[in-house]
Amino acid sequence: MLNKVRDMTLLEGNVGETYTVKGINTSDEDMNAFLFRLGCYSGEPITLMSKKKKNCIVVIKDSRYSMDNVLAEAIAI
Amino acid sequence: MRIAFAGNPNSGKTTMYNALTGRSEKVGNWAGVTVGRKESPIKEAFTKGKEVIAVDLPGAYSMSPFTPEESITSEFVRDEHPDAIINIVDATNLSRSLFFTTQLLELGIPVVVALNKSDISDKEQTKIDVDKLSQKLNCPVVKTVSTAEKNNGLDKVVEKAVSLAGTAQTAPYVQADIDLKDKAAVDREDRKRFDFVNGIVKDVEVREVLSSETQQSDKVDSVLTNPVIGILIFAAVMYGVFWISQAWAGPGIADWLVGWIETFQEWVAGQLENSPAIVSAIVADGIVGGVGAVVGFLPLVMIMYFLLALLEDCGYMARVSAVMDPIFKRVGLSGKAIIPIIIGTGCGIPAIMACRTIRDDRERRASAMLTTFIPCGAKIPVIALFAGAFFAGAGWVSTVAYFLGIVLIFLGALLIKAITGYKYRKSFFIIELPMWKVPSLKRAFLSMMERAKAYIIKAATIILICNCVVQVMQSFNWQFQVVEEGMEDTSILASIASPFAILLIPLGFGAWQLAAAAVTGFIAKENVVGTLAVVYGLTNFIDVDELEMTGDGNVVAATMGLTSVAALAYLFFNLYTPPCFAAIGAMNSEMKSKAWLWSAIGLQLATGYTVAFLVYQIGTLITEGHLGTGFLPGLIAIIVIALIIVAIARRVRAHFDQQYSLHENAKAAA
Amino acid sequence: MNIQTIIAVVITAVILLLAIRYIYREKKKGTKCIGCPFAGECTKYGHHTETENCHLPE
Repeated sequence: MLNKVRDMTLLEGNVGETYTVKGINTSDEDMNAFLFRLGCYSGEPITLMSKKKKNCIVVIKDSRYSMDNVLAEAIAI
Repeated sequence: MRIAFAGNPNSGKTTMYNALTGRSEKVGNWAGVTVGRKESPIKEAFTKGKEVIAVDLPGAYSMSPFTPEESITSEFVRDEHPDAIINIVDATNLSRSLFFTTQLLELGIPVVVALNKSDISDKEQTKIDVDKLSQKLNCPVVKTVSTAEKNNGLDKVVEKAVSLAGTAQTAPYVQADIDLKDKAAVDREDRKRFDFVNGIVKDVEVREVLSSETQQSDKVDSVLTNPVIGILIFAAVMYGVFWISQAWAGPGIADWLVGWIETFQEWVAGQLENSPAIVSAIVADGIVGGVGAVVGFLPLVMIMYFLLALLEDCGYMARVSAVMDPIFKRVGLSGKAIIPIIIGTGCGIPAIMACRTIRDDRERRASAMLTTFIPCGAKIPVIALFAGAFFAGAGWVSTVAYFLGIVLIFLGALLIKAITGYKYRKSFFIIELPMWKVPSLKRAFLSMMERAKAYIIKAATIILICNCVVQVMQSFNWQFQVVEEGMEDTSILASIASPFAILLIPLGFGAWQLAAAAVTGFIAKENVVGTLAVVYGLTNFIDVDELEMTGDGNVVAATMGLTSVAALAYLFFNLYTPPCFAAIGAMNSEMKSKAWLWSAIGLQLATGYTVAFLVYQIGTLITEGHLGTGFLPGLIAIIVIALIIVAIARRVRAHFDQQYSLHENAKAAA
Repeated sequence: MNIQTIIAVVITAVILLLAIRYIYREKKKGTKCIGCPFAGECTKYGHHTETENCHLPE
């Protein structure tokens, strides 16, 4: 049985490290497009600055954003 | 000639617009302040005599709109053909901003790039080769600092824009002709565009400090977004704002002001001693007394606005939004709803309009209708009046009023969530955290003065006229005879207000005077104070002591004939019913649906009524051991309201279920 | 009717007239909220406003 290894999500990342986005998996296409325009798409770097119980802070293309963990979970790194 | 100001949110467009046109449109250090487009001529000094109109647009990240106000921008530049575009680019995040820039450059309209916030990028030691950038983009690039008084680059920007207007400009990057409906193709092209931008940035920008490095501000943010500490800090900050404006500095200055008003009123009354009573009534009581009562609270409102402006400028709003999001999510809203609420402590109209940045339809409408539960600046005089007259100026009245407002917002949100069924859509939350900035005292001061001017104008026009009308209606009966002392019940005002008063009996304040005051409150909430001053003939309303109320506070209490409990109920009634007509108008613009609008008004009426009922009945039960008057009719009324809500809820749910299943079927079929 | 009364009545009438005139003018301009500094934002959402503000400020 072939077991596909799931990509790590941003939520599982370590604070202070920069990762490369592998994919965005929100079920909302518009949200995907929005994240894209901010510079969050596969191949681009994203840095996890802070991780809290419900939200986290990231750096995308020289700007900081706060996003809830549901969204962080949808970003594969 | 029209020049459009386009660029990413929070890049400084409105600040530049204000500097060039002399207007003072609202600015704030977070994404989503400007929600509509504004136009105004640029000052002649910049255009060298030519007539040029500047068009300020909401911020957008791209020509494909995500939020409602982004579509205003894309539609404008695409459909209305401005003669030139000034693309304000935040120099601190070139890598993101240039995406939109390259799209604008493809439109065939001459673009001038204003590299704004250059002072900040210089401070960060980020070096940008302006000439190279200009060459690569094939358009002029001018360094600007729109917050600076002098040497800000603004004249150069305008000069370039004006000179290029109507000419052609070749785009450095043109998107291939693709089928815009083909998602994969669009995605490919967007990536190519970003690759192009990445290439430019690499060539043009040199950073000393990598943005992914932790800085001092990150440590601060980490604390502020901590779920527990962050919220406590927020509560403390807001409490501080209220305390300074309404319990400390505000009343301090107000006392002084009020002393003058009172002296003036006494003088006027003295002058008119020998005039017919009606003249004295209208002039001394209606005008000076009524308007004076309202103006006396001006210092409180001014200081509050000053503090709010500082708060909005420093960049804290986005952090608050992030930290409040988890709580708001539980009631079906998002953290973005906290910003309208904070703005709402000043005025409800910009607050309702700030809801435009909320993408989800249901959430946006819910926020718009709930945001007026937080007392606005116009309600401050009402709170202060009752706190002073019935509770010896105790601070808890004000605190409870705001706290209850927040509670009602949450309860209301839960109700809406229950009715409209929230579970169908996953709502993601993301907000940009702008860089921290030392708030500009000057700007806050100017903003405060603007507000003060508006307040005085409102007092001198609407409130003045309302007071006169009320005074006249109270002084005459239907036969146009002057009403005798003690016979006020036969006046025009009494006969109109009495039917309303009957409805208010279960709430403990079924007097026509109070009903009249509440009704005038819909024109402007300050009118409640003004009208009360007029109908009760209270001249020495305000005094040098405690929170504007006099030792005559007892006179006020006695004249109104209310128990403390009933007074509290009346206060809450006025605070939590529908807002003034202007705010209702703003709600109407936001709801875009009569059904939602009337639901909003209905909800607000029901809330005001129910809260007042509960406070009065339960309060009377506690303080006097028996239920207040009209308990049964009131209870029936509330039960009826509850039943109506349940009925509406059922209908809405059924409709949504139907809609959702159709949607699912369509998706499955597609 | 003494002089004070007359003065009072006249001043009152003038103030009222100015107030009414101001409100009338603002309503014609389309300002929804009198004296509100955010009057410029009160446009109908998503709907193109006429460029009626295209006159130089008084």
